[in-house]
Amino acid sequence: MNVPTRWLRGLGTRFADTIDIPLLVALLAVMTISLVVLHSAGDSSMALVYAQGARYAAGFGAMFVFAQIPPSKLRIWTPWLFMATLGLLLLVPLIGTGQSARSWINLGVFYLQPSELLKLTVPMMVAWYLHSEPLPPGWKTLAVCMAIIGVPSALIVIQPAFGTGVLVAASGVFVIFLAGLAWWRIGLFAGMGAAAAPILWFFVLHDFQKARIFNFLDPERDPQGTGWNILQSQIAVGSGGLFGKGWGHGTQAHLNFLPEHTTDFIFAVLSEEFGWIGVCTLLALYLFIVGRCLWIAASARETYARLLAGALAMTFFVYAMVNGGMVSGLLPVVGVPMPLLSYGGTSAVSLLAGFGIVMSVYAHRRFMGT
Amino acid sequence: MMKPPRHRPLKNLHAEAALFRARALQGFVMIAAALLLLAGWYFRLQVLQHAEYSSRAEANRIKQRPIVPARGLIYDRNGKLLADNVQAWRLEITADEVPDLKNTLARLGQIIPLSDDDLSTFEKLRHATRGFRAVPLKLGLSEAEVARFAIDRHLYPGVDVAPYLTRRYPYGDLFAHVLGYVGRVDADDVTRMGDTRYAVLSQLGKSGLERYYEERLRGQIGYDQIETNVDGKPLRVLSRNPAKPGADLRLSIDADLQRTLVVAFGKYDGAAVVVDPRNGEVLAMVSLPAFDPNLFINGISHADYDGLINNVSKPLFNRVLVGGTLPGSTIKPFVGLAGLESGVRKASDRTLSTGEFHIPGQKRGYRDAEAGGAGWVDLRMSIAHSVNTYYYKLAMDMGIDRFDDYMRRYGFGQKTGIDLSGESVGVVPSPEWKRKRFKQDWFLGETIIAGIGQGYWIVTPLQLTQGTAALAADGIRHQLHLVRETRDGFNLPWVAQPQPPGQPISTNRDNLAAVREGMIAVTQIGTAKAIGLHAQYLIAGKTGTAQRVGRKGNVSMDPRALPVNLRHQSLFIAYAPANNPTIAIAVVVEHGGYGATAAAPIARTVLDAWLLKRTPEQVAADLAHAPPSAVQDVPDDETPALVPLPSVNPPAPVVDPAQRRPSP
Repeated sequence: MNVPTRWLRGLGTRFADTIDIPLLVALLAVMTISLVVLHSAGDSSMALVYAQGARYAAGFGAMFVFAQIPPSKLRIWTPWLFMATLGLLLLVPLIGTGQSARSWINLGVFYLQPSELLKLTVPMMVAWYLHSEPLPPGWKTLAVCMAIIGVPSALIVIQPAFGTGVLVAASGVFVIFLAGLAWWRIGLFAGMGAAAAPILWFFVLHDFQKARIFNFLDPERDPQGTGWNILQSQIAVGSGGLFGKGWGHGTQAHLNFLPEHTTDFIFAVLSEEFGWIGVCTLLALYLFIVGRCLWIAASARETYARLLAGALAMTFFVYAMVNGGMVSGLLPVVGVPMPLLSYGGTSAVSLLAGFGIVMSVYAHRRFMGT
Repeated sequence: MMKPPRHRPLKNLHAEAALFRARALQGFVMIAAALLLLAGWYFRLQVLQHAEYSSRAEANRIKQRPIVPARGLIYDRNGKLLADNVQAWRLEITADEVPDLKNTLARLGQIIPLSDDDLSTFEKLRHATRGFRAVPLKLGLSEAEVARFAIDRHLYPGVDVAPYLTRRYPYGDLFAHVLGYVGRVDADDVTRMGDTRYAVLSQLGKSGLERYYEERLRGQIGYDQIETNVDGKPLRVLSRNPAKPGADLRLSIDADLQRTLVVAFGKYDGAAVVVDPRNGEVLAMVSLPAFDPNLFINGISHADYDGLINNVSKPLFNRVLVGGTLPGSTIKPFVGLAGLESGVRKASDRTLSTGEFHIPGQKRGYRDAEAGGAGWVDLRMSIAHSVNTYYYKLAMDMGIDRFDDYMRRYGFGQKTGIDLSGESVGVVPSPEWKRKRFKQDWFLGETIIAGIGQGYWIVTPLQLTQGTAALAADGIRHQLHLVRETRDGFNLPWVAQPQPPGQPISTNRDNLAAVREGMIAVTQIGTAKAIGLHAQYLIAGKTGTAQRVGRKGNVSMDPRALPVNLRHQSLFIAYAPANNPTIAIAVVVEHGGYGATAAAPIARTVLDAWLLKRTPEQVAADLAHAPPSAVQDVPDDETPALVPLPSVNPPAPVVDPAQRRPSP
């Protein structure tokens, strides 16, 4: 047997050993739906489909690579990875670009959004810290966690990318939740959060972000202006009905009434063309993915792996929930893409890398971490 | 990288794993609940509120593009085209697509002259319609203007030059008071019609037949349902609702006779109506001077409009329809008929004319035309020689109430119902009318002069014609009308315009015959014998003079020196052939002379043309050889100087709708 063939067979074996098939199938299903909807949203041109397909391929590469890294090894690298991504985030105000928010760094080959990377490294860092602490966490432990979560989140919020900041924070908070933070402490934090809301409103949020909230509360206020997105998106969703208008027959999307219909609002295209049945199918897939990830997490023997996998699963859910809510007018418009459905590279690659970590947890579930 | 393990409680790994499992389960349940909530929310939108959102999505993408139907054509009775449509260009603006309207209008004004009227009409129309509809700014662009705009079109988003069909009246002023004219649609029109889609029409009937038959002529606006994108750019036609073209009208008017009538009037101002007494069809109808309706189509210029308004002869004033006049002696055949019908007189009853009539016990005298009187006259002679005393006494004997009843029966004091709007009612003198109008009591003297068509009387040329036609048609009053037939498309058959059945004004043939004999005598031996000379058919007629101001001696004055309401009017009514009438006419000439002088020759010319089938050109040639002045100026029935005229101004000021400033 020659060398390449052996290498390939080895790769195949490793693939079979490290990849969780049910999770993989569910992810592939979501991505297939994504490409189908993109074909329609991109005016039946294959250009978007190929571009997104390439990104998914890259994402699968990342997933496969991450799946090969034992969680124990990843844990050891965690502080460095965290520091590196935090450093990139600090560079953004200096060399970053972007339309409304400076959140991108031009790497020459492609644009990188450091905040997306932090969606991975923040929960990793929190899990790393809690790994060696007694659980459920006490006040002192909690304070350290808050610092780990707070600093990057605040930096992202002032970019300003409020939605991403909140999601990064949420990914860290889920780790603490899964670590078993007492319910009464959770209640206490929730209360404090509510009390801090006015401060947030008056000192942190920008006018365009406030306008989004106003529009969310009353989209009819200015239907031709700022409320346009919500209203047109709701019309797209509502007009889809139970079974949808059919693939490629969504008038809202095809006649450009629907804004951003390949990216943030792609779920509205799916709703319009495939109806409530399509919506439920996708949500069911998402629920399965989250559940499978939590199952894998629960089977891990190591605290770090367990917390990280669980938190990644819950963050994935939050993306879906926030985007689904925003597209249908249930939540304010925040720039959150629908996971593995929206057109875009960074999000897809970082999400799939995250699932790679989960796969790795699955693959190493029988081993005790050091 | 490990933290120092000192002072650290031991981790209980099993308990942590159990704790995690519990939390993972709790988290999963919450996530499932949240997704269920989301699915429920989508259910609400997509299933429960589907109908609402579905219709909003439809409204989003579908726009209606109006299709303007071609306006119906108007023909004369022989198929000559009196009003047609020609292609023209207009400047229009879709306000929603213009970034800075004020600035755009200012810049546009520099390359295409825009009048204040254009701008104010546009501004009002724009507010009466919706911003996504194109609103005309200026009609009838010249080729140079179209070309000029084409160069700079890209600088004017939302502004467009669009083709449209515009009206054209090939005969110019000949049918001005019959056809009327179309004018620019203005904001009031759109409001009145209650549909902003009408703003897409360029023109709308503003007067005459164009107005009366507006709805039929206009047809129905159709529309294409067009799928548009978010910028309103049409992508494809979803469905078509074709426009229904306007109905064509075929008039009873004969264009040649109309021209003959105008030729016959020569230099005079006045009005005349020619009808077929057998069915009420109007054969010709003029009000002179007239105007060129083509001026109004795309908005009349200030200079043109001022010229028309300031003309002392009032060319916009429709004398036929709203021009009230004293009937003068032309009323006598009707009063005479009323005397017979009421039983107050027999045809053979005689009245003594002494030159002056007195109400018993009163000093005031009412004069006859002839000094010394005409002696004993019966009905026939009273008509033939227009003997006032016969009618003074007859009116007094009938009494004003009975007199009024009969005059109304003959169609005076009420609209003829011709298919034109804005018709005057006129006035039949009556105590009630006087009380209402002047809050004064009635005097017997006013009954006396009503008998000779003076006093408070106001008749329109239409009413006179209608009454004359009824006398001609054995007492049957037919509905006067201009439109004979209509058709809803050029490939569809003409359909006769339904008319109400004729109303009898008298069923007594003897009475009618007696009046006819009197009217025949008028043209044989009476006041208009000059026009009966050498006629190849028998004419029944009656002269009349309506005098508004006292005449100084017998000097004919230039009627154009006087305002319309003060001009003397020379009247003549006639029908022919007297034994089997096929034409009836009433002529009112604004002139200083007597009825027989000006009006009767015009009537004779028209009767000849119709009955002997002479063309307008032949008639014009005839008139050049034998001008109307050849007819002698015979005093027929000058209003007695003793009679105090009710007022110098006509009792009921005639409202002339044409005097209102039409919106250009």
